[in-house]
Amino acid sequence: MLVSKRKRYLSGSDWVINTLDRMMKSATCVGNISQIVLQLDSTLQQNEVRNALNRFVKKFPVISGRGARDIRLAPYWKIPRKNDGEISFHTAAPDNNTSPDGNFTFLEKSANAPFRDKRDYLSFQFLPNGGRNVIAMTFDHRLFDARGAEAFLSLFQQDIMDGSVDGDITFVSSAALTQWSRKFRAGQNVNRRIIALSKSTPEQLPIHREGSGAYRYRLISFTPGETEDVYKRAYHEAGYLMESTFFLAVIIQAMHDLFIRRYRTRSSYLIPVTVDLRPNADALQEIFFNYVSYFFYQIPVQEAGDQPKIIASLKQQMYDQVKAGFPKDLAEASQLTRIAPPSILGRLLHLPLEGKMATFAFSHLGKSSYHHGDFMGAKIENLFHMPRVPVPPGLGFFTNYFNGRLNIVLSHLDGLLKDEEVQMLEDGIRARCGVPKT
Amino acid sequence: MTVEEIERKLIEGISTITNKNASEITVGKAFHDLGIDSMGFVEILVYIEKTFKLQLIASDLTKKDFENIRSLAAHINRKL
Repeated sequence: MLVSKRKRYLSGSDWVINTLDRMMKSATCVGNISQIVLQLDSTLQQNEVRNALNRFVKKFPVISGRGARDIRLAPYWKIPRKNDGEISFHTAAPDNNTSPDGNFTFLEKSANAPFRDKRDYLSFQFLPNGGRNVIAMTFDHRLFDARGAEAFLSLFQQDIMDGSVDGDITFVSSAALTQWSRKFRAGQNVNRRIIALSKSTPEQLPIHREGSGAYRYRLISFTPGETEDVYKRAYHEAGYLMESTFFLAVIIQAMHDLFIRRYRTRSSYLIPVTVDLRPNADALQEIFFNYVSYFFYQIPVQEAGDQPKIIASLKQQMYDQVKAGFPKDLAEASQLTRIAPPSILGRLLHLPLEGKMATFAFSHLGKSSYHHGDFMGAKIENLFHMPRVPVPPGLGFFTNYFNGRLNIVLSHLDGLLKDEEVQMLEDGIRARCGVPKT
Repeated sequence: MTVEEIERKLIEGISTITNKNASEITVGKAFHDLGIDSMGFVEILVYIEKTFKLQLIASDLTKKDFENIRSLAAHINRKL
């Protein structure tokens, strides 16, 4: 184990995220980034926010680090002694503040904007929005996963309250160049699963290469009352704590409606679902980098219109994958990929499934890692994420729960869906959740 | 096996799954208050299969039977 403030070895998950970043840059000109949005109930002073964020971010040298390889070729994050740079902070022009649509256009633009330079992994967006501020943090996934980004902002708020946060973190990491037989065994298990999945090429929406490369978003937000009803329905239909299974079943059916409207679908839908493998959610050093692995769910097209069947199948697939240790094996086996440069690994990732890596991506964040009800004294009305989904499939659904509200964000590569199809998906999801839009 | 023994076994397993000290886990605390999400919950179901030879994933997983260690232990006891 390496205990260091200046060096942190990258895990297999980090390396795959690095590779996805490269693939995204090559396909869309912008990397594997996401944005976390906080809608506040009152106004903050722009300069106060900027200065407070600047002071806070400067506490963390890790934020201005960069990837490197050591003499044994193990990749690591090289951390400088200090983080001197000023944060990138953008304010919406007044004409953005006149309507919710204007806000969303600004947020869509910032979620798709490249960072200032290759050592920049964060930027902040400030929307005065009349009397109700919106604050957004756009982040590079090489630095944080979604939970980590929430926890980082939560830490900022903690620091505002008591000034207790020290960002000069001692990282404990391993080059992971031992226990090769365990890694190869994990690799064999992962291969077996991928071969089983490859028997049916997944359905996927065609990606138009001539598109802008930008992502578009639809926020489906439920009121606290609606959220309570949706959770009751989810627990009733899928079982206690199985809300993510219910949400995914609902989304699969909405997507199935879309596919049968467009094509004669024949095979199956394949959905990678993010799993958090963080060993200790409260540890400061685990805010940074990636702790994600995946489940892979496959639903044959002929079953995709039957909700109880989908729910039963998803639960059983989840159970089988947990029992077989698949998410942990995938994380373990991905350590082996670190020897490959991202350019080569990117091509290898396209080999199985005829390059059709998934129908869409899904992630349920569940309980928020932002542990406060306010941001610099302003009450947070809602918090949601706007990720750019790796291409292919360039399409994903992200659900989170904050302050009694459920959000489902649909993220899609521009040109992949028509406006009326996005509306159809929202209507299908809302109806199956039991709360159609009135 | 008594309900108390089942509860003890469950605390042992859940402590490993959640990375928490067994002393932090009380039998009446709801699983979601222990920070358990769907994956953690399924890990508990897999642990139950390995420990008590009971497969529960295909059951209704009602909140009444699965909300906390106490109700879950009683449910397992009825099934054994």
